[in-house]
Amino acid sequence: MQDFFELAVGAAASGCVYGLIGLGYLLVLRPTGIINFAVGEWAMLGAFGGFVLLTQYEWPYPLGMAAALAATFLIGWTTERVVVRPLVAKSAPLLAPILALLGMVVVYRETISAIFPPDPMPVPYAFGMGRLEFGAIGGTYQSCFIIGVTLAVFIGVWLFFERTVAGKAFEAVSLHRRAAALMGINLSRVTALSFGAGAVVAGLGGLLVAPNTSAHYLMGVPLAIQGFTALVIGGVGRVEGALLGGLLLALAEQLTVRYAPIPSGYAQGMPLVLLMIFLLLRPTGLLRARA
Amino acid sequence: MTSVIRGAAAFIVLAGAAFLMGEYHNDVYRKLLLWVALALGYNFLFGICGQVAFSHFAFYGIGAYSIVILLFQLHLPFPLAVACGIALCILFALAVAIPSTRLEGFYLALATLALGQLFIVVLNEGGAITGGTGGIANYRLPQFFGLNLRGPWYTAVIALLVVGTYAVLVRLDHSWFGRACRAVRDNPEAAAAMGVDVARTKVIAFTLTSALAGIAGMVYAFVDNTVNPPIFSIDNAFLLLFMVIVGGAGRHAGAVIGAALLFLLPFWLSPIVGHHQALVFGVLVVAAILLAPHGLIGIFDRLARR
Repeated sequence: MQDFFELAVGAAASGCVYGLIGLGYLLVLRPTGIINFAVGEWAMLGAFGGFVLLTQYEWPYPLGMAAALAATFLIGWTTERVVVRPLVAKSAPLLAPILALLGMVVVYRETISAIFPPDPMPVPYAFGMGRLEFGAIGGTYQSCFIIGVTLAVFIGVWLFFERTVAGKAFEAVSLHRRAAALMGINLSRVTALSFGAGAVVAGLGGLLVAPNTSAHYLMGVPLAIQGFTALVIGGVGRVEGALLGGLLLALAEQLTVRYAPIPSGYAQGMPLVLLMIFLLLRPTGLLRARA
Repeated sequence: MTSVIRGAAAFIVLAGAAFLMGEYHNDVYRKLLLWVALALGYNFLFGICGQVAFSHFAFYGIGAYSIVILLFQLHLPFPLAVACGIALCILFALAVAIPSTRLEGFYLALATLALGQLFIVVLNEGGAITGGTGGIANYRLPQFFGLNLRGPWYTAVIALLVVGTYAVLVRLDHSWFGRACRAVRDNPEAAAAMGVDVARTKVIAFTLTSALAGIAGMVYAFVDNTVNPPIFSIDNAFLLLFMVIVGGAGRHAGAVIGAALLFLLPFWLSPIVGHHQALVFGVLVVAAILLAPHGLIGIFDRLARR
């Protein structure tokens, strides 16, 4: 039982990271309809931001974290301006920006691999090594930090969409772009902001997971697949779906690795199988969109 | 009739070129031809039928692995092994394509991306059957009727593959099926209203191009006489997509140009940028989508019209 609790806390932490990446997809997907596969690379950039600022320059954690996230926001914003905006302006088919962002996946990844050596780069823990115990349940500081930060982000995003006028503007754009524009909502600003916010959320995921996995230029695509799986499991209709999906995915992954009688190599296939099953059997995800 | 003569002429030129080259250039040329064959098939799926799938390289791998396993582990006779390999590709393709018709747009891409990754996991974990991470090596193409296809003679086989793939795809493209595919790509609702069975068109296009990729994989298996997981990785599936986009999606000539350019580019670039040619590819693709949505062939057309 102790073993299971240990596993559950670890799984919850990685599930939160998947949830953040899934949220990164969702923030772009809702107002624009674009499935942005570059979120995985944004997570990678967040992790490398952590490596440069926290490991190389040894900035204090909150400052380094804020600067790294500000940088990912700028990257997301710029990407929208340079790559997506011109295509939307000439009303290219929706597939065009999706494929352009797929090209950006390679651009980000290879830029990082050109700048940094190909080894895994260390990123520090937020509160160092150590364990927090609540009775039978316990986890590392980093796991608790990841869970806490993720919950705060999801509550913030949920409140933004449900309780603020700006959030309603995003929602309106996701429902009907033309109608929203006619109601006086600045479409291009909403789109640019959604890319910036998506990049911040994904970058945060990368920064949080990096102390455990190290920052590596190839970390993006697996995270992009896991984040997308989280989104598909939870459903794109609701913000909290990404978190639910991430938690379920991570739990399924860890349980397979620990308890299923198959070679550990096959356990890597778990998220892929889940993704295919959900896409084929329940493409709307577990949570239905609210009317 | 003229098309048969033209096909034969193209084959003679493509195959004849191999006899003028040395061992090294023959090897490069063989791989170039294989990329062209793959890009032609992928162009039909993505450019003409509008389906973004990342499973094309997995089918290339299924073809390559199945022929090797069927021939050298199950010891089937060669024609039977080829037939079984193709049947296997078709069965897999149907198993993927039929449920996938429920997926819209880019969701197919992500489902097939997962499939492509899963294929690599299975190859790595396949134990003695797939040879694990090291793959299978040290086998030789069996002799046919005392014929020993080596060196440029094997290049001729690949030239035949390219010409055959091209002939099949062009013929399909010019038939009602090609028009149905284009209609499904441009506007599925309108296509359905015109009496095109959208789901069936998608399934046939996916299965056919996947089977062609499988056949190309079988031919590839005897190019290096080794098959291993990295060759069939998802990176190459991305590269294939990039080739078609840069060359000009929806055009056979575009696929050929894109494949040739992106395959040969690293040879010229490596003295300048070292191992970072992938960065150049990424920039090229983004630039092509932003500045030349019809690819290089579109630029060529515009210049020719002037």
